[in-house]
Amino acid sequence: MNNQQDLPLKKDIAARFVPKVVALMVYLGTLCFVFTLFMIHSTKLWEGQLSTQLTLEIPTTHGHPSADLQSRVLHLLNRTPGIQSATAVPQKEIASLLHSLLGEKVDETLLSLPIIIDISLNNNEIVDIPSLETHLKNISSDIQLTDHRSWQAHVSDVIHMSVLIALVVTALVLFVALATTTFATRTSLLIHRQVIEVLSLIGATPSYIAKQFQMNALKQGLFSSTIGSLFAFLTFMGVGVLLEKIGLPFSIDSTFFSQALCVFVLAPFLTALLMMLSARFAVLITLRS
Amino acid sequence: MSEYIAQLVDLGHQYDEGSEIFKGVTFNIEKGSFHFLTGPSGSGKSSLLRILYLGLKPTWGNIRLFGEDPLRMKPATLPLLRQRLGVVFQEFKLLDHLKIIDNVSLPLRVRGVEAKRGYKQAQELLDWVGLGDCLMSYPSALSGGQKQRAAIARAVITRPQLLLADEPTGNVDDELAMKLLHLFEELNKMGTAVIIATHNPRLLERSPYPQLQIKEATINVIPNHRIGE
Ligand SMILES: Nc1ncnc2c1ncn2[C@@H]1O[C@H](COP(=O)(O)OP(=O)(O)OP(=O)(O)O)[C@@H](O)[C@H]1O
Ligand SMILES: [Mg+2]
Repeated sequence: MNNQQDLPLKKDIAARFVPKVVALMVYLGTLCFVFTLFMIHSTKLWEGQLSTQLTLEIPTTHGHPSADLQSRVLHLLNRTPGIQSATAVPQKEIASLLHSLLGEKVDETLLSLPIIIDISLNNNEIVDIPSLETHLKNISSDIQLTDHRSWQAHVSDVIHMSVLIALVVTALVLFVALATTTFATRTSLLIHRQVIEVLSLIGATPSYIAKQFQMNALKQGLFSSTIGSLFAFLTFMGVGVLLEKIGLPFSIDSTFFSQALCVFVLAPFLTALLMMLSARFAVLITLRS
Repeated sequence: MSEYIAQLVDLGHQYDEGSEIFKGVTFNIEKGSFHFLTGPSGSGKSSLLRILYLGLKPTWGNIRLFGEDPLRMKPATLPLLRQRLGVVFQEFKLLDHLKIIDNVSLPLRVRGVEAKRGYKQAQELLDWVGLGDCLMSYPSALSGGQKQRAAIARAVITRPQLLLADEPTGNVDDELAMKLLHLFEELNKMGTAVIIATHNPRLLERSPYPQLQIKEATINVIPNHRIGE
């Protein structure tokens, strides 16, 4: 004597295709959203690490450049308004960088390593780059100043753009899931119009009838989006393991992992809730018109 | 509060492209009254009942039901008026996918009555109309007369203020017809106004209730049909 289902909704054609569509959409949507989170997270990390905005290079022509040259340059830099700090990169670091690029066998003492100075800027002040360059040229004409800010800004733009695209795709996917629910509900209303007519004639309010549809959508939504989300989680873990094996420098740290986990856990509930609401509104709008 | 359960004023109806089935119909249904609705087949008995249970909007005229004007009410509030009615449809309109006990307790469920209480009442009523053995059957497994009794049980289970029954004894033998009429009379004694559309001459002969007689698209109220005939 199960009484809660006055409408035979479980036998609808819609009952067969809606869960599949929703599961797929939740799969794509959660992955897309987690990707967005990943991009935002990585960008933040990356931006945090990028304190160097300018680099200065003093090439050596014969043997090691003089320590005097280095100290004069540093002196100039530290007096320049807008520069927060300027530090020479230790020769060992440059050498290890060279080793990683050219192999261990290279004897760096045979190469003439340049002096590299990392410069961090004070974000509140503007550095007069042309005048700085002129001053540097006065010290030595070989000194090269490289500004990294333009390509950093460029990369940031690309990242922000891809975050935006991922968000739009997530929203689209959610929209498809809800549109499917609305469409299925409307079809169902048509299929069951005789039952609905009888229900209304014996005094059922639109809200009572809507409840039948919304409970159905809620159950359907919970079930199918849990499956979609579970598969998305497995894919996420799989991709993580794969990237680690390839040796790509993607770090899934605990903050990002817990954020992603939240998405995978919450997505089914949120989707089911939204599906329930869209079913309810579809019924109410149809019955009241 | 109005004395009348229902008032029809200068009501007329015409189905799309059909001829007028009602013209200038005016009558009142008092609280606790009992009427037969008569007229030849196709004269509009079902249509009149449909107008009264708000399943059909009349083309002309006004209705008041329980003092309210359903034609000017928001669609969302109509169910609340319908909850004060009980209807036995000519074609029963039982829900095929629900068991008989679920069909009969449905009006209570729709009104928010607790399931257990609904089943208890439905069971008592089904026992009374002789369907105690069919509680768990589906309508498709029932005969015409059994379905009709289930439909009657569903209509009276809420003890409505107005009961509209369309040929409620059309599919049962005379003995059962009289028993069902007795059920309507009992309900009427408790205050329900009753309108029964019927062809059954025996029902009319045995029961001295006034008639609403449809003739030439209008309705004559015959206070006591024995006198009128
Ligand atoms: N939905 C409809 N659309 C068009 N015409 C209809 C509709 N329903 C009924 N009619 C017509 O209205 C007239 C009255 O029909 P109605 O069913 O009210 O008669 P009735 O008195 O109940 O007949 P019966 O005794 O056979 O049940 C008939 O001529 C019928 O053809
Ligand atoms: Mg009829």
